[in-house]
Amino acid sequence: MSITIEARNVHKSYQDADRKVKVLQGINLATEAGELVAIVGPSGSGKSTLLHLLGALDTVDRGEIMIGGQALADLGRRQLAKFRNRTIGFVFQFHRLLPDFDALENVMMPGRIAGHDPVRVAQRARQLLLEVGLEERLDHFPSQLSGGERQRVAICRALLMEPPLLLADEPTGNLDPVAADQVFELLINLQQRHGTTAVLVTHNPALASRCGRILRLEKGVLYAESYGPNP
Amino acid sequence: MRQLPSWQMKLPLPSLLALRYLRSGRRDAYVSLLSLLATGGITLGVSALILVLSGLSGLQDFLRSDVLSRTPHLEIEVPEGVDSSTLCDAFKGIIGVVDAQRILRGRGWLLFSGGAISVQVVGFEGQLPRSFPVREDSFADSSGAESDVDAGAGLYLGDALARRWAVSIGDKVDLVSPRPTLTPFGPQPRAQALPLAGVFRTGRTEDNEQRVAVPLATARRLFGHHGSRIEIKTNSLDTALQVAESVAAVLPAGGRVRTWQELNRALFFALKLEKVLMFIAVFLIVPVAAMSLVTVLALLISSKRGEIGMLQAMGASAGEIRRAFLVLGGLLGTVGLVLGGTLGVGTAWMLDRYQLISPPGDVYFLSHIPFLIEGGDLAAIFLATIILIASSTLFAARRAAALGPVEALRN
Ligand SMILES: Nc1ncnc2c1ncn2[C@@H]1O[C@H](COP(=O)(O)OP(=O)(O)OP(=O)(O)O)[C@@H](O)[C@H]1O
Ligand SMILES: [Mg+2]
Repeated sequence: MSITIEARNVHKSYQDADRKVKVLQGINLATEAGELVAIVGPSGSGKSTLLHLLGALDTVDRGEIMIGGQALADLGRRQLAKFRNRTIGFVFQFHRLLPDFDALENVMMPGRIAGHDPVRVAQRARQLLLEVGLEERLDHFPSQLSGGERQRVAICRALLMEPPLLLADEPTGNLDPVAADQVFELLINLQQRHGTTAVLVTHNPALASRCGRILRLEKGVLYAESYGPNP
Repeated sequence: MRQLPSWQMKLPLPSLLALRYLRSGRRDAYVSLLSLLATGGITLGVSALILVLSGLSGLQDFLRSDVLSRTPHLEIEVPEGVDSSTLCDAFKGIIGVVDAQRILRGRGWLLFSGGAISVQVVGFEGQLPRSFPVREDSFADSSGAESDVDAGAGLYLGDALARRWAVSIGDKVDLVSPRPTLTPFGPQPRAQALPLAGVFRTGRTEDNEQRVAVPLATARRLFGHHGSRIEIKTNSLDTALQVAESVAAVLPAGGRVRTWQELNRALFFALKLEKVLMFIAVFLIVPVAAMSLVTVLALLISSKRGEIGMLQAMGASAGEIRRAFLVLGGLLGTVGLVLGGTLGVGTAWMLDRYQLISPPGDVYFLSHIPFLIEGGDLAAIFLATIILIASSTLFAARRAAALGPVEALRN
């Protein structure tokens, strides 16, 4: 399952105490279905902001974003929530697991939000955790897991609903190089296997180079940086 | 490997989140202390309210029935120049009327061996009126002899006054009327020496000490016909209210019918007011508890900020987030309410059943304070508490939902 992204002339600025911070100033982006795109750029350039916009967590000031042909601006608050649930999987730099739920329950959460049968959802969650090698950790709480394990659980959670679009904001940013490599490998592996369209923000050039396409965000605009090994 | 998800995972999302947040709150000493304060405060407030109001209801109930036992069901002011005895017979014919008694009211002075006191005089016919309950033990202990005074000719005094003046049955007491008799030597006050025929229980009020009862004929002689009344007794208090209209229809112009309600309006109003004020005073504990409920929720919401953002990113709606905290606040509040209700009702029942509290001195003729749990009081207490819990929880929960996902995630 995959989906296309289309962003046209997207602007976004923030109103600080006394001045306006223009973060995005005319972003244009189009992806193929099933493509893996890396976004790089200096800190504060607006990578997270762009990802939030693509993920329907925030609204644009100007321009238009279409995910799979659906204009986000046309959706109301409830529809947006449902859209995020069904269409998008998020992975953040900080794992953002719910500390009061164990690994299995964390992975199940999007399914529960969707209102699916808990037993079926649990089956699917267990299956995913097995795929990432965490079958021994199902009833561990996030505080009982290592950083890499937490991030793997977070990836499973993002993929539970089999979303056609995966958005990852520095998913390995908090990990040591070995763990980062493992998690990244896993992410690409799953993305390829599920045919998910993915946008990935990273500071790590080595990891970025393994993506289909690298885009650089600078001064509010996206530039094509290079094409990686597997277009 | 675990086969089935925990039963909680089958709950709707808001309840699921609320339960887990409750559990995580327990690990935080600050949150637990505040939750304890909120729940305990509500428990305390509700139980105190039930206890105070049921004690008050018990006392008021006693007082009310005591007062009503001395109040005529209906009191009729007979207009000037109307023959009260024909009127009295007419009233007796009305269905529901058990008895009608002619009464005359006047003011005078009572003199006995140098003592003088201003009194309200009630002239009566036949039996001593309802408002003068005769003491069972009469005066036998001090006079040593049963009354041989003709009941139709003597005077009745309150027991407190009789004891103070040391009057015994048969002793002559002077009753003086302010209406003068014109004599060749100028106007002279009318006076009559009357033997003490009996005493009645004065009970609680000073007012009763200043009332005396004399036969109707004697009262007429002293005070004339002005102030003539008829007291009507009916089947029940309710009947009295229904009968009042038929009585008024028979009554010639210038007369006036007053029911037991109207006769005691001021007292009943005071009782109601007492209860309302007490309710407000004791209820003030509950808003304080509700405020700690808001604090608990606010604390939890701010510590769960990032999670709230993640939940929204996963597709939880603002409404679900709001409901999660509503359920949480509702749980804490309901526990307090149920505990307080059980504690209050249980304690009130025990205090009443085992007669554990006695009023000081002999202010009332009460060996113990009765506790009366009234459904209306309970409903008011519960309703007011629920409204307060709901509104403070709603206030806090709305703020959780107002947080947009991006703001919530940015920390
Ligand atoms: N709510 C906000 N209010 C004001 N300024 C904001 C807000 N959110 C973001 N910004 C500003 O927008 C700019 C872009 O932020 P963003 O988080 O998108 O950068 P980034 O490229 O993800 O940086 P990093 O690589 O450090 O994560 C920053 O200068 C930031 O200060
Ligand atoms: Mg960022």
